[in-house]
Amino acid sequence: MSEPLDRGGLIDLVAAYALGVVPASECGQVAAFILADADARREYDELRATANLLGLSAEEPVDSNRAARMKERLMATVRADVVPRAPLSATRTSAMWGTTLAAAAAVVFALVSVIQNFGLRSDLHDAQARVATLQTRLDIDRRTVALDRRMLTDLTASDSKRYTVAYGTVVKRGANVYLVLGSLPPPPHGKVYQAWTLARGATTVAPSVTFSPSQSGITLVPIPQDAGNLAAIAVSVEPEGGSRQPTTKPAFVQPLS
Amino acid sequence: MEDGARLMERVRARDVDAFERLYDTYHRLVFGIALRIAADAALAEDVTQSIFLKLWTSPEAFREGNFAGWLSRVTRNRTLDVVRSRANRSTTEIPADVPADASTDATVFANIDAQRVRGALSALSEEQRTPIEMGFFAGITHEEIAQRTGVPLGTIKTRIRTGLRRLREALSEAISR
Repeated sequence: MSEPLDRGGLIDLVAAYALGVVPASECGQVAAFILADADARREYDELRATANLLGLSAEEPVDSNRAARMKERLMATVRADVVPRAPLSATRTSAMWGTTLAAAAAVVFALVSVIQNFGLRSDLHDAQARVATLQTRLDIDRRTVALDRRMLTDLTASDSKRYTVAYGTVVKRGANVYLVLGSLPPPPHGKVYQAWTLARGATTVAPSVTFSPSQSGITLVPIPQDAGNLAAIAVSVEPEGGSRQPTTKPAFVQPLS
Repeated sequence: MEDGARLMERVRARDVDAFERLYDTYHRLVFGIALRIAADAALAEDVTQSIFLKLWTSPEAFREGNFAGWLSRVTRNRTLDVVRSRANRSTTEIPADVPADASTDATVFANIDAQRVRGALSALSEEQRTPIEMGFFAGITHEEIAQRTGVPLGTIKTRIRTGLRRLREALSEAISR
């Protein structure tokens, strides 16, 4: 609740009230003042009418198609609302009631439609946002399915190369390489497994993905680097978030031919 | 040309032709205000439809005075309501409940048109015109106007008051010419 204002303060607010910019918390005071004070009342009457005319400055031509469309819809509703002017007779009364009710229903329906339209636009906006989210999710799912399909093909292909390592197998096919590790023990608290790759001709390993053992028992790790360019692959236990260079002895180092 | 107040009398008598003329005369005003406030043509079209349907179903809502001014205020308030509801914003301004005595203005401003209003507005200083236009078309409080413009609240109140008085004088001069 705002502090009570003196007459000078209230007079200052009459113009703002006429324009419609007084905060709700002060409207009651100002309205009461206008009703009680003749000077304030006169100023309000004059400035309110003037403020109302501000809207005229926004008048502008409407696209003819839009104007025609709006008019067509409006006039159809209005004409449906008009009761025929024929004299009533006893036998026609019920029929007229039916017409009137139908016309009234048409107007109500039109009004409800317009009101609902506002809500529908908001709903449409929300729906579009949901569609965008679902589309993103669908794209991710499609990529995941494509990756799964490619992995399945690579892992089962007869031309894949398989290297037995501690806890499982390294599978290489073309440019793709995977770690297929079973019974991998959980790393110590705060630690993860990290893969390392050694590029052909390189003298130091480069960090690759980090991972944790799958609860299903088989941990499948696709390595993002191009297998065609790799000389070796290794796995070590590293702090969460991974390391830039191995900090522990590797669980295995596997040369790739 | 038959003015809006006369046309509304005929609309009260369920005169479809009068309503059609009312639409032809004032749809640019209603659509223009809604578009200026909402900056969304589809929403402005919805507001225009709802305003004219309301004129048809509740013509008694207009009592007397300058019809274009009354229609401007109704359109402004309706559009702000819709914009706020879409933005889930609470209403920060309560439209004035005190009914204005419009008998004088019905005579003085009966034939005012958009061009004259634009001319009178452009005659105001930028300092006076800005808070007045922000208040009417953005539907914000004088405190918010002060915050957005960086001008003290007391100065904003004074500029609104002197600006509206100057606007009234300029409109009266334009009509008397």
